[in-house]
Amino acid sequence: MSVDQVSSAWVPLAAALLLAVAAAAAALDGALAARSLGHHPASGLLTPVAETARLFRQRRRSTLAADVPLWRIGGAGLLTAALLMVVVVPLGRWTVADLAVGVVWFNAMDVLLWAAVWLAGWGPNSAHALVGGFRFLAQALAYELPLMFALTTPAVAAQSLRLGDLVAAQEGLWFVVWMPVAFVVFCGAVLAFSVWGPFAAATGSTTAGGVLAETSGVDRWLVTAGRYALLTAGAAFGATAFLGGGQGPLLPAWLWTLLKTAALLAVLVALRRRLPVLRPERLVAPAWLVVLPLTLLQLLVVSVVVVVRG
Amino acid sequence: MDLITRLATRRTAVLVVEVPGWAATRWAVEREVRDRGWRPALSPADADVLVVCGRPGARLATAVDHVWTQLPGPRARAALTEPASAAGALDAALTQLTDRDAQRRDAVDRPDEPSPGTGAAERVEGEPTPSEPQDDEPPAFDDPGPAQEDDGDSDAGEPGDMDHGDMDHGGMDHGGMDHGGMDHGGMYDHGDMDMDMPMPGGIMLAGAGGNDQLPDPDGLDLDVLHLPLGPVLPSWPAGLLLHTTLQGDLVVAAVPEVLPADGAPPSAQDVRRSPAGRWDAVATLLALAGWDDAATRAARLRDAALDGELHQGDADRLARRIRRSRLLRASLRGLGELPDGDAHDRLLHWLDGAAAERTTTLGDVAELVTGLDLAAARLVVASLDLDTAHRTPAPAEATS
Repeated sequence: MSVDQVSSAWVPLAAALLLAVAAAAAALDGALAARSLGHHPASGLLTPVAETARLFRQRRRSTLAADVPLWRIGGAGLLTAALLMVVVVPLGRWTVADLAVGVVWFNAMDVLLWAAVWLAGWGPNSAHALVGGFRFLAQALAYELPLMFALTTPAVAAQSLRLGDLVAAQEGLWFVVWMPVAFVVFCGAVLAFSVWGPFAAATGSTTAGGVLAETSGVDRWLVTAGRYALLTAGAAFGATAFLGGGQGPLLPAWLWTLLKTAALLAVLVALRRRLPVLRPERLVAPAWLVVLPLTLLQLLVVSVVVVVRG
Repeated sequence: MDLITRLATRRTAVLVVEVPGWAATRWAVEREVRDRGWRPALSPADADVLVVCGRPGARLATAVDHVWTQLPGPRARAALTEPASAAGALDAALTQLTDRDAQRRDAVDRPDEPSPGTGAAERVEGEPTPSEPQDDEPPAFDDPGPAQEDDGDSDAGEPGDMDHGDMDHGGMDHGGMDHGGMDHGGMYDHGDMDMDMPMPGGIMLAGAGGNDQLPDPDGLDLDVLHLPLGPVLPSWPAGLLLHTTLQGDLVVAAVPEVLPADGAPPSAQDVRRSPAGRWDAVATLLALAGWDDAATRAARLRDAALDGELHQGDADRLARRIRRSRLLRASLRGLGELPDGDAHDRLLHWLDGAAAERTTTLGDVAELVTGLDLAAARLVVASLDLDTAHRTPAPAEATS
């Protein structure tokens, strides 16, 4: 299956699609939250709309001696990074940017988040927000290297960094089947860079909302929407790099990509209900002593298979 | 009510302030919030409605007033004492929130710049004037901004110095004050204030760790920051004000005190030692541990137990789920070690319904949190399930 680059006139549509899927993820989270409140799940489906109305109606919070430019850059950085990530992810046969280094591009955008989240914590000149920002950096130290090697694995198997080639190389057998460790590590890292679920310490209640402690109104909307968009972009990349992208019978390729993305995204969203937050200071040791060696082992196995197969 | 307003108020975020002794009223408000599909707020910036449960004493009231200035708006405020009036109070708050004209007037009346803390005029109970020489003081110190003098560790033993209400908004405050106001006191202490130090927004930068006599646990020369935690802080003991001294995010010293209620709380509110009280402690600790789903379910069990309609099956199912969570154990293990175990053990005791009657003094709290990072300290405090209502309002104790 070949992937073609579409005209850049389609870019707004791609962005709208990302936001729409992210909104669906927020609606799912709202429904799950309503269920745990003892309400009918359907009553939570409007949560993203209601929250958007609430935040757009709210005043922006200002703080004393805030670093306003950096605060705004950080707050907008999450959504921006998510939009830049999906640029290289093909939707079926179409992609917005058919980069020869698509995998590296995705990785580079995720590294942007180190700055974005930390700046969102630095900007308001508040102790809790700053601690939240630093907790994200501690967490990033734990997830970034495993993520890089998890991203390398499918690229080695396809012998290309182009996402279209990754999809083509999965004809017949999805990568998730013979590189499950890389897939699981990748999903964990998506949760971590989206500040979600067990990796949400940077916005946790122990620091009164962490990097979100001082944000309100449209600034808060940008960060919240950015987190959902990051989850969505991560799920879309995961569906492409590990779950065969547009490969599948009967249905058109674009629909397969969407379905796989939605399924992976739903799992990531639902995980938040099941798990408490992990404290970042207890994360680095297992990440470097257990997860990283396992990821390298996975990479070694895949490399040997590729060499033997010639 | 137009469509936007109607949608916006579906998800109203409520910051609930419990005055020591009014736990049952807080529970009633939290239940009402849940029933409406509203949600609790994590910080003033996140909140639409501020609800005060009980009759706060003067200092707690000052702290609440300060937190009120930090709600972004549209905002509404409610106060109640009886659990039965929770629905009415929230209805009134909703009416305020949706009153466009009133909200517009409120917005116009507010200053553009954030308030840097309560000014000297609002200090209560004879705040002692700083004893340090005043002549070399930069003029900015007379601004309302850094008017707080928290000398942190050095005169922690003087209860009078703890009285200013401006410390009280605590963890929730905008950092301008947290950094600046609280630090210049530390600089006074050591008498080597650098007059050339830049003062963004008229507040001093955090003092260098080398100037401080505090031992740094990591051997790093980190800046020292005085950060008050409480008394208005979600998932935090009612009225507790913990003056912490931070290096990085590590608590190197803590001085606790309780801001009491105005008069004795009604005995009908004494619900903490009941099964409902134990489920409330579970819900609080789980909320801090970031497990919203289990925390919500624990709060529902608390309310069911209060009604006497607790289904043992539901309780057992949640208790099993909590016991089985390895991540929760990994995150709570080893925190706040006491003779009866650590934070995770105490959680299991609550689940067994066999919580030991502990007499944790405020001094113990300070000792337990010293050396922990901010987040771990919050978990430890929650795991102690402090009863701040039945505590003689003793002067703050020095522990550092």
